[in-house]
Amino acid sequence: MSDVKSLLQELEGLVPECSARLDQASLSELEDIKIDMLGRKGRVAKIMSGLPSLPNEDKPVAGKKANEVKAALTELIEGKQSELEKAATAESLSRFDPTMPGRKPAEGSLHPVTLVMDEICDVFIGLGFEVVTGPEVENDWYNFEALNIPPEHPARDMQDTLYISDSILLRTHTSPLQIRTMKDRTPPLAAIAPGKVYRRDSDLTHTPMFHQIEGFLVDQNVSMADLRGTLTAFVHQLFGPKTDVRFRPSFFPFTEPSAEVDISCVMCGGKGTIDGKPCRVCKQTGWVEILGCGMMDPNVMKAVDYDTEKYSGFAFGLGIERVAMLKYGIGDLRMFFENDIRFLEQFS
Amino acid sequence: MLLSMQWLRDFVPYEGEIQELGDRLTMLGLELEEIFNPFEAIKDIVVGHVVECGKHPEADKLSVCKVDVGDGELLDIVCGAPNVKQGINVPVAKVGVTMPGDFKIKKAKLRGVKSHGMICSERELELSEEHDGIMILPKDLKPGAKFTEAMNMEDTVMDLGITPNRADCLSMLGIAREAALAFDLPITMPKFNLVENGGNAADMLKIEIDSPDLCPLYQARILQGAKIAPSPDWMRYRLLAVGVRPISNIVDVTNYVLFELGQPLHSFDADLLKGGKIRVGLAPDGTKFTTLDEHERQLIDSDLLIWDAERPVALAGVMGGMNSEIHDGSTNVVLESAVFRPGLIRKTARRLALPSEASYRFERGVDQQLNTFAVDRAAQLMSELSGANIVSGVAKNEPTPWQDRTHDYRHKRCNSWLGIDLEPEFSKKAFSLMGLEVDDSDADCWKVSTPSYRLDLEREADLYEEVARYFGMDKIPSVLPRISKTFDASVIAETPYGFYRRIKNWGRGVGLHEAINYSFVGDDDLDLLGLPKEGRVNIANPLSEDQNVMRTELAPGLLNTVRHNLAQGNSHIRVFEIAKKFIKDETSDTETREQSRLGIMLNGPRSGAEWPNEQGDADYMDVKGLVEHLLADLKLGEAIFSLAEDHSYLEPCVNITLGKQEIGFMGMVKADIADKYHAKKEVWMADLNADLLRDIVMAHKIKFETLPVFPPSRRDVTVIGPVSLHAETIKDAILGLKLPLIESVELVNVFVPEGQVGERNLSFRITYRHGQKTLTDKAVDKEHKKVLAGLEKSLPVRF
Repeated sequence: MSDVKSLLQELEGLVPECSARLDQASLSELEDIKIDMLGRKGRVAKIMSGLPSLPNEDKPVAGKKANEVKAALTELIEGKQSELEKAATAESLSRFDPTMPGRKPAEGSLHPVTLVMDEICDVFIGLGFEVVTGPEVENDWYNFEALNIPPEHPARDMQDTLYISDSILLRTHTSPLQIRTMKDRTPPLAAIAPGKVYRRDSDLTHTPMFHQIEGFLVDQNVSMADLRGTLTAFVHQLFGPKTDVRFRPSFFPFTEPSAEVDISCVMCGGKGTIDGKPCRVCKQTGWVEILGCGMMDPNVMKAVDYDTEKYSGFAFGLGIERVAMLKYGIGDLRMFFENDIRFLEQFS
Repeated sequence: MLLSMQWLRDFVPYEGEIQELGDRLTMLGLELEEIFNPFEAIKDIVVGHVVECGKHPEADKLSVCKVDVGDGELLDIVCGAPNVKQGINVPVAKVGVTMPGDFKIKKAKLRGVKSHGMICSERELELSEEHDGIMILPKDLKPGAKFTEAMNMEDTVMDLGITPNRADCLSMLGIAREAALAFDLPITMPKFNLVENGGNAADMLKIEIDSPDLCPLYQARILQGAKIAPSPDWMRYRLLAVGVRPISNIVDVTNYVLFELGQPLHSFDADLLKGGKIRVGLAPDGTKFTTLDEHERQLIDSDLLIWDAERPVALAGVMGGMNSEIHDGSTNVVLESAVFRPGLIRKTARRLALPSEASYRFERGVDQQLNTFAVDRAAQLMSELSGANIVSGVAKNEPTPWQDRTHDYRHKRCNSWLGIDLEPEFSKKAFSLMGLEVDDSDADCWKVSTPSYRLDLEREADLYEEVARYFGMDKIPSVLPRISKTFDASVIAETPYGFYRRIKNWGRGVGLHEAINYSFVGDDDLDLLGLPKEGRVNIANPLSEDQNVMRTELAPGLLNTVRHNLAQGNSHIRVFEIAKKFIKDETSDTETREQSRLGIMLNGPRSGAEWPNEQGDADYMDVKGLVEHLLADLKLGEAIFSLAEDHSYLEPCVNITLGKQEIGFMGMVKADIADKYHAKKEVWMADLNADLLRDIVMAHKIKFETLPVFPPSRRDVTVIGPVSLHAETIKDAILGLKLPLIESVELVNVFVPEGQVGERNLSFRITYRHGQKTLTDKAVDKEHKKVLAGLEKSLPVRF
């Protein structure tokens, strides 16, 4: 028959003992202490193994004490544990250096021509145009004749051509896509054609290859007002709603009437000067030329056997590099095709 | 086209701001490019009066002058000209003035005598080649006056861009008509009295035209007793203002009338023309002819010539001949005024690279009805300037007289075409101001006849443009069209453009920079890579030899990109490009087959960043990883990579096949070739058929697979085999066992233990899984043993 008194003493003695052991304990020792004290085969359990031999009237007292001691021990251990963990965190934080370099995945970039082309295409796709593409090596008929530029016409001088043979050439504009698309289909048609074009020209402001986007709409009752509306919407989306748009008469063999579209200069805001100094981008005119357009010439429609009394249409074309130069302030056209990575990575 | 304001005012009384005129002309389609003072370079020159002129004490050829330039004080100027003398007026550049050619007049001492300025010759003022002496000015000029003002040279020139259709605007008269239209002003034609002096030109000169379609009109006037001399100042200055060098009175008059009226003229020395005959006819192939620039030209049978009775004397509409040119001793002149077929003139001028003010106008079309006025005007001016008599009558042949042209005009349709709502009266007014005549007896369809100078008005649509121009194209309202579509309109994702866009975004995402190279390179570039000579698409008229052939592969362009970047000090090069390659193909309507390719090129460090990023230079596994990543991104499954030798510039060269289709190749550019592009480190590349990839992607349908329910079990096996045994062969052998529990096989490590020769260790991780139950260790072990046994049986390996 055990003595309840000594059992209670034993239980109570565990608290100061545990406290003393915890004093110098590390986190891993703490785990050992926890098991030693509170584990299934721990000290509390061992002491309480004498419980069955106590007189029945003493059992509740002993049980209560055991719970009190367990709670006290748990509190002690958990207190110490949280103290140690805090210290460990603090210690590990003290070693953490937020200024260390990151493990960086490589950064890629899209060419500014692609970026601007995509942006322009997106505007027209949003307006309901589809995207068509075609060959870069063209024949004379698609590039010139069907577009109302017969042989020996002075308009051929507007575009110095790179030839493969007498009748095969590198397309000088994306306009052949008007013909290729219309030839296979019937109106209504609304399409844009982005792509590379070629001219026999190389100097500060010309490269022998550059990019254009052609756009055209053919349907019944298409008017110059529709053209103006479409291009105004385009300019506002690309350069902002405050940009002024100016249409002035011009000449393209494949449109009649033809117009050139100027926008208020993106550099000086159309003022012609920047801080009192003449604006070099618009040469002080306040306007920069951005695209050419017009009503589709009846001869172009005839080339693809469209009924010119039934249908009318408009067409426009613009140079991508020019827009990119205006948009990003790039001064030298040649940089586009040198592909210097320090240039390429600036845009996307 | 340079427009002299002074000259313009002969035709139209415009007195407003020049900028405003320029702006209005711009909005009429004649784009103002620049406004400038043609005599800007000599604007600071003043009139000086030589008060005293004495000999230089030290130099015989120098004079010491005291010159009154209106400042109150006389300037001491030392002058070397033989014609300087007391009492004359001269142009003076004072100290501080910048002369043409950008040299500044400074105080100077010439052989010990101070000089405070310079007395100028015509050449020093860029007015002529005259440099034998200083320029002597009229007596009545006031010392100190601005030279250009005193000489009535004050002018402003507008540079206008004239589009190819507006041939009528290539003259003062033509632009005056547009100015008159813009401001509702009257036009005044030059007035002159033609004084003919007996004889009969038609008898003296017969005009023959071989075929009416070569030359609708040829006429000539004959002048006798001309004295060749410099033109008077007023004419010379006007020519200078529009950028023409004055030569002599006869030649200057032809240029003057060309700029004034737009009709090119040519003057022959009549005594050098043989047989009293002019013939207009094509050159027999191979004809040699020396133009007046002293170049002998080899002609072809589409070149039009002017012949006398014996030989060619001018290249029609392009340039005169040496053999009949006006010279200092000429006295009798045949003055030609003609209309030639535009296309012929253009072809010759282009072929011989001989553009001239004359050919420029002929090839765009000249005004046939103004022709007689022009030749009379020129004859009268020549007579006045040279003292020549004008022989009565003209020698003339006009096989194709001008026919007035009439076009239909439907006002309603014009309104709907332009999207505006104008009254018919508006169009009538526009047409009448432009010199077009309207017959509106049919109110719905007018007959509009166009003048001979508006050759560009050929159809009804051209008349709409005139209405739009007069109304103001900028006033047309903006309307957003309702865009209708048909079912065959393509969806963006299905277009090639949409697919390339997807690939470009992939490239950007995996850390590649998009490059765009020229589509052409040099034959040398292709030769260097050992690419076949057959099938190349060459450019007939390349700008240079390094741009004379279309790319047959992307490598040459990408290698240029590498070279440029290395030259700029960029060492971490990871680029891609989507572009076409071009191969000759006679079956195509463009004789060329174009195929879009995706090129990837890596050179230098794998990572642009230092530690902790993985260091080292890009190698095969980098470029292969990119290809595999792309195929995975496109959900195309695994490709087969096999050694090949098709691209001799690559070593190793690896073909990439997907299913049974070859989708591209990759490899390392041979070191000696890379070296030519200054790449010292390995250059790895891939070149994939983007069109084929698109086809495969379009055909590929993605299907959902149910996720596995039961856990996998993994076993590693390290295979020791000869170094020549490819990893893929081992993997294929494992998969080839077709054991049902094997889900996947991955290579996880490759190593060579120290001391092991000729063999390497490859560790594979095999994933086993059962679809309907959790696998027991025992079942997996059993399956794994079959793998080992199978490998040992089929390959020279051990474990």
